Amino acid sequence: MTRSIIKIKTTLLDHQVAQLSAIAIGLSLLESVLPSPIPGVKPGIANIISLYALYRFNFSTAMWVSILRVFATSLILGQFLSPTFMLSFTGSLLSLITLYISFRLSKRFFSPISLSILSSFAHIAGQLLLVRFWLIPHASIYYLIPIYSLSALLFGLINGWITDQLLKHHNSL
Amino acid sequence: MKLRPKFYIGDVLILLISILFILFTFKSFWHFEAGSIVQVNFQGKVYGNFSLFQNKKINLTGKEGESVIEIREGRARFVTSPCKNQYCVQQGWIHYAGQMLICIPNEVSVEILDKTKAYDSLNY
Repeated sequence: MTRSIIKIKTTLLDHQVAQLSAIAIGLSLLESVLPSPIPGVKPGIANIISLYALYRFNFSTAMWVSILRVFATSLILGQFLSPTFMLSFTGSLLSLITLYISFRLSKRFFSPISLSILSSFAHIAGQLLLVRFWLIPHASIYYLIPIYSLSALLFGLINGWITDQLLKHHNSL
Repeated sequence: MKLRPKFYIGDVLILLISILFILFTFKSFWHFEAGSIVQVNFQGKVYGNFSLFQNKKINLTGKEGESVIEIREGRARFVTSPCKNQYCVQQGWIHYAGQMLICIPNEVSVEILDKTKAYDSLNY
């Protein structure tokens, strides 16, 4: 009996996606250890990698990196298909859609900082909608909108700035 | 290495819009109005709705003992409570619509109602 060997042909793009995803997963895990003052207020540093992938390569790379990161991190932390995972997944999907649309904006007027702010707002909007209609169906959630949108702006700005610097000075990742 | 970020016109625009949006959310979701009616719940039922603009003391004798609620100058508080933790007494005065004092051991809760909610009390 001959042994059959299945060899999956990988393209350069696959390797790039794998490398970037690995960094994003590492950052995500690092962040999950950090304590947070309010549940849900997190810097979201892994989004730097998605944004970097979008600018450096293309949208499909960014999408792969983002989705793989969400799945892999939840599997590692044992949160797969839990509310935490659903929140993270919804947020990522909405911010990817926002990135897809806003990437068409003129590069002359909008830097990665703009896209980062927009996508972090989309992220928190998706999560709040899920919480409102599924997890805690009560209007008192609206009290949290100011805090969450303030943190979205702050961390979106910081992440965007880091991405901007990465793209300028470290273009060989 | 230059660390100063380069802001484009679009970035400034988006930054301004988001700051305006955040100010708007703070204004619309974090407004507190002084209430005018206080609802006292006792042993799972509505004990009564009282106007906040009167001086009144309400004595309620529950399972644990006697709770005393005081209403004065548009505010309400627990004066004494027979419970162990005394959380309800330590919360002090409340006067905004939506605020609540709860004493679980003695089954007493005090809630300040706003105008829209207070409308129901017409039927009461």
